[in-house]
Amino acid sequence: MHEETFDVVVVGGGHNGSTIAAYLAKSGLSVAVCEARPECGGGQENTEPRPGFRIDPHATYLYGGAAPGFDQLELWKYGMRMVYYPSMSGVVTLDGVAANMGSRWRPDIGEAANRRYSPDGSGGGGGLVEALPEPAMRELLRALFWTPPHPRQHEIDEADLPWWQVFRKHVPELWSERLLDMSYCDFLEEFVPWEPSRVAGAMGAWYCGAHPSWDGMMLPSLGGVMLFGYSGGSPRGGMHTYAHAIIRCAIAHGARILTNSPVEEIIVRNGRAIGVRLAADASFPEKTIWARKAVISGADVKQTFLHLVGRQHMDAGFAQRIADVSLKGGSLFVMSVICRELPKYHGRDDAFPEDVYPSCVVGPADSMDFFHTQTRDAYSHKKVPESLTPEHLTMMICSHDQYDPTRSPEGYHVLSPIYLECPPPQYDAEGPESYNRHKQEIVDAALALLERMAPNMHSDNIVDVFVNTPYDSEFRNAGMSGGNWYGARQSADQWFGTRPMPELARYRTPIDGLYMCSQSMHPGGLCLMAVPYNLMHILIEDGIVEPASWWYPSEWYVPEKGRPKAEVA
Amino acid sequence: MVRKGYGIEPTEHILDEFPEHSTFDVAIVGGGPNGLIAAAYLARAGLRTIVVERRHEVGGGLATEETLFPGYYTNPHAVYHMMTDYMPLFRDFDLDAHGLTFVKPNAQTAAVFSDGTSVMLCNQVEDTKDSIAKFSQRDANRFGKVMRSWRRLVDDVIAPGTYLPPMAPMDMIEAFERTENGREVLRLTEMSPIEIINELVEDDRVRMLLLYAACMWGLNPHESGLGFLVPLYVDRAANKALCYGGSHKLAGSLSREILRNGGVVLDNAEVTSFIVEDGRVTGIEVFDGRVIEAKAVLSSLPPPLTFGELLPAEHVPTELKRVADQWEWDDWSFFTLSVATNEAPRYETDDPWVNDAFMVVTGFDSTEQLLRHWDNVLAGRLDLDCVGGHATVETRYDPTLVRIPGHHVSFLQVHVPGDVEGGWKARHDEVAECLLERWSRYAPNLTPDNIVLSTAESPLDIETRLPNMVRGSIKHGAYNALQMGVFRPHDTCVGGRTPVEGLYLCGASSYPGGLVIGGPGYIAANSVADDLGAQKWWTPPRYVERYRETYLS
Repeated sequence: MHEETFDVVVVGGGHNGSTIAAYLAKSGLSVAVCEARPECGGGQENTEPRPGFRIDPHATYLYGGAAPGFDQLELWKYGMRMVYYPSMSGVVTLDGVAANMGSRWRPDIGEAANRRYSPDGSGGGGGLVEALPEPAMRELLRALFWTPPHPRQHEIDEADLPWWQVFRKHVPELWSERLLDMSYCDFLEEFVPWEPSRVAGAMGAWYCGAHPSWDGMMLPSLGGVMLFGYSGGSPRGGMHTYAHAIIRCAIAHGARILTNSPVEEIIVRNGRAIGVRLAADASFPEKTIWARKAVISGADVKQTFLHLVGRQHMDAGFAQRIADVSLKGGSLFVMSVICRELPKYHGRDDAFPEDVYPSCVVGPADSMDFFHTQTRDAYSHKKVPESLTPEHLTMMICSHDQYDPTRSPEGYHVLSPIYLECPPPQYDAEGPESYNRHKQEIVDAALALLERMAPNMHSDNIVDVFVNTPYDSEFRNAGMSGGNWYGARQSADQWFGTRPMPELARYRTPIDGLYMCSQSMHPGGLCLMAVPYNLMHILIEDGIVEPASWWYPSEWYVPEKGRPKAEVA
Repeated sequence: MVRKGYGIEPTEHILDEFPEHSTFDVAIVGGGPNGLIAAAYLARAGLRTIVVERRHEVGGGLATEETLFPGYYTNPHAVYHMMTDYMPLFRDFDLDAHGLTFVKPNAQTAAVFSDGTSVMLCNQVEDTKDSIAKFSQRDANRFGKVMRSWRRLVDDVIAPGTYLPPMAPMDMIEAFERTENGREVLRLTEMSPIEIINELVEDDRVRMLLLYAACMWGLNPHESGLGFLVPLYVDRAANKALCYGGSHKLAGSLSREILRNGGVVLDNAEVTSFIVEDGRVTGIEVFDGRVIEAKAVLSSLPPPLTFGELLPAEHVPTELKRVADQWEWDDWSFFTLSVATNEAPRYETDDPWVNDAFMVVTGFDSTEQLLRHWDNVLAGRLDLDCVGGHATVETRYDPTLVRIPGHHVSFLQVHVPGDVEGGWKARHDEVAECLLERWSRYAPNLTPDNIVLSTAESPLDIETRLPNMVRGSIKHGAYNALQMGVFRPHDTCVGGRTPVEGLYLCGASSYPGGLVIGGPGYIAANSVADDLGAQKWWTPPRYVERYRETYLS
C-alpha cells in the first residue's frame, strides 16, 4: 500500500525542508518530504563530478554552529562531525600582500598579520566583535538569526529588537542608533583601517549575509561574518554530511523522504492548502499526496506562489508584490578547480604555510573600488563586463582538503567553491543564458588572474574545472530562483519583520495551512536550521505541533496575541 | 608529499559530534549493497548496527552521481539489476511502499551490426524468437526451448544457491546428481561459455550476442569450470531491471531500513584498522581517530584489504595471508563514456524497436571479432581497431536523472584491461575519443552539436572512486574456479564466518560474488544473527527452502 496522506507535506528536501521535517517527525507528526532530485540537501551538497574529487557547488562552511537544532535534533547521533581550521581566511592583493587572518582557534595568526599590515596594528571592528565573548556572541547570533520576526500587530521600537537587547545586556556602551542605519561598507570605512581588510570584510559579508552596500543592514552583514567565524570550520566531508545528519534524524523519527519526486502543484481548495501533486514521472507511485494539517514550502517565495500555488489563488496585488520580490544579491558564478598544488601566492611558499593555509582566500583585495565595480556589474549594468580585468573579478577562493583528506585524493587539491558575484539570470540585460554563453571566457580570465596572484596556478597545475552559474542552479535546484542562495534580497525592505514582505514574515501565508520554510524567509540562507526553528514557534502557536521537552523557544520570541505560546511543553 | 592535515582541536565547545568512542553490536565496514543489506537485516533483528563508509554517500556500486556536471546524473557503476526477481530483501522489506521502483523493459539486449541488421533479446521470449528468426528459424526455435529449460535451472538451482552458504565441491556434485536440473548444471559447469553457446545456436551473429551476454560480467569465454553461470547470465540478459530514480535509490531505501531500526550510517569515515583483543576482533578504528567497538565486525572489503591491511598482520591466519597475497583481481574492467545530449542516440537499424532497448551492443559483426577484442583484453592489451561494447540511454526509462527537460544521458561501456600500456591516465582521452567515434558509426546523431557534455571513466577512475575495486575490479576479484564457490574467498570462510573470532566477511569477494546480487550480505546476516543469538525476523524465500530440502538435506 502506498501511503498518500500525511499530517504534513514538505515541498523540497533542501536544507530548510529536511530540517523542518526532522523537527516535526521528532515531535511525532507523520511527514512526507517531496524532493525533485535523487538526493536531498539542496544547497548543502557535495558532488563528485570526477571520481575522487568532491566539490561544493553551493554552501561550503558551517555558519550554523550556534543553532539550537544541533541539541534539539541531537544531530551527533546521526553522524554529525566537524573539522575545525587553524585558518579560516586570508587576503591577497595584486601588489604582493598575502595576509593570513587565522581563525578563532588561532587568533595569533590574524594578530600577527594585523601588526604587519594594518596602519594602526589592529584588525578594526569598532570593538563590536572583541567585546562579545561567549556567551554574548552566541546570544547575539541567536537574536539575529534564531528568532522569529515579531508579530505584525506588535509595534516595534528599538528596545524590542532582539539584537539591541543583547547589546543592552552585555555591552550597552557600544550601542548606538547609528548602527541601525549604517551599511556594512559604512562600518568598514569607519572602523577598519586597512583597505584589503575592508575588501575581505565586504566580500565576506556579501557571501555570508546581507550585501555590504545596503543601508541599514550593517548588523545582519556583520552577523553573517560572525557566523562564518563562529564555527571556524566545516563539517567533515563537507556540508552534505550535515545534510545527512538532518535527513537521517528525520528518517529515524519516521519521516518519509520521497526523492525524484518533484512537486508540480500545491493543491488549494477553499483557500486552504490540502496537499501536493507530483510530476507524472515522479518515482513515488502515488502522484497526489494529501496533508491533514499543513503543507510547508521549502521552495523560494516566487516558486511557491507563482508556480506551485498559482495566481488563481491570490489577488492581483499580492501576485504583483511576489513578482516584485527582489532577487538581487545572492546569485553566484561558482567555479571548482582541481589542481595539483594549492596556490602559492606571489610565488612564496611561506605566505600561507601548508599547516595553516587559509581555507578562504579573498583576492585581489587591493581596493574597495574593485568591490564596488563588481557590484555595479551585477546589479546596475547586469551583464558580463566587456573586459574582464582584475577589478571585475575579486574572488573568494575556498579550499578544504588541506584539513580534510576525504575531499580529494592524495597529491591533489580542490579549490571549491570559487565564488564570483553575478546578476540573477532574470535580470541579466543580455538574457538569462548570458553567463552560460560567457562561461569559458570568465573561467579563462579568472584563472589568468589567479595565476597572476599565484604563479604556480599555470595550466600544468590545473587538472579540471567545473562551473555552475545561477542559470544552471535554477535547473539543479528548482527552489532557488535566480540561483539565489537567500531567495529574496537581504535588504532592509526584505529583512526580519518585512521578509520577504510583512504579511509573510511570520511564515504564515494568505493560504490557510500553507507555511513558508525557505531561504526567502527570515533570516535567509546559509543552512542555519534557523528558518525551520523560527517556523516551529508559529506551528506551535497554530496548534499544528506540540514538541516534547527537548524544545525551547527563542529568548526574544514575541508570541502572537490570542494564540498558544510556543513554550516548553 | 605532504600528508593532508586533519584540522585543529577547538578550544571551545561549539556543538556535539558523533562520539570519539562508541559501542555497537554490529559494525559493518563498507556501505556498498552487501554491507547495507547485512545491516538492514541485523538492525531490524534488534542488534545495534553501524555502517561505516569511506565515501560521502553509501551505496558503493549503487551510485547515482552528477558526473555530467552541472545538471546530469548518471549511474556510474551498477545500472543493470539482474536479480531483482530473486533477492530475498525485496520480499523481506517493503521497499516498494517507499517508492523504490524497478523498470524491466521488454526490449532488453540488442546487437546492431555494421550493415544495419540487428538481433534482440527480449523479456518475452517469443519476441526474442521473432528477432532471431530473421537470421535462423532453427536457432529461434531451439533458443525458445532451451531458454525454458535454462529458466528451470536458474529457478531451481542457480538462483537459490545464491542465498545459501556454498557446498564443498564433492558435496555439491553428490547433491546435484540427485536431480535432472542438477545434472544439467554439472554438465554445463564442465563446458566453456563458447562451447555452450555454440551448442545452443548456429548463426554467428546470434552466437555473438549470446556470448556477449554470457561473458560480459567476467566469465572467460574459453574456460570451463564456471559454465553453470552461462544459463544464469543469458536468462538475466532478458531480465535486467533499472532502478527508477537511480541505483542509489536502492542504497537509500536500505539506509532508511537501518535508520528506522535504530542503526547508524557514518560516512566520510575510512576504516584504518580492526581492533584485536586476545585474538578476537572487537572493533574498528576510523581515520579521524574514532573508535567503534562491536561484538561482530563485518568487512565488505576484498581479502587484500581485509586481511592485508585492516587486520593487524600478527592476527592474520596463514592461509588467509596467502589469499590476501595471491588474490586475483577481475580479469577485465570497463571503460565508460557518458554523454549528455539534446536528443537520445538513435541507431540506424532494420528494427526501430532497438532504440528502445535497455542495452545495445555494437562493434562486433562476428564471434571472431568479439573474441579478438576479449582475447586482447585478457592479455592486457587494448587494440582500438577492434573494440565494441554495450550502450544504454538511461533517460529512456528514467527521465528523473536529468534536470534539463527533454535532455538525455547515455553511456557506452567497453571491456578493457585493468591496466594498460602507458597507463590509463595517459590513454584516457584517446580512448574516449575513439569510443565516441565508434559509437557514432551506429548512432549517427551523436554529433558535436547534439552533445552537451561528456565524460569518461577508466578502470583507474573506478578504483579512485571505490578503492576496494582495485584495477577497476567491479566484482572485487576474478571469477575463476579457484576463487568461486566455497573458495570465494577461502574455504575457511564459509557463510561469512572467518577463523578470526568476531570478524565476518560480507562483500562481493565472498561467495557467491558481486554484481549486486545481494548474496554475501544476506548470507553473512544469517550467520551473524545466529552467532549473536538475535531473533531472525525473516524466513528464507520458498524457492531457497526448496533448494535446501532438495540438495542440502
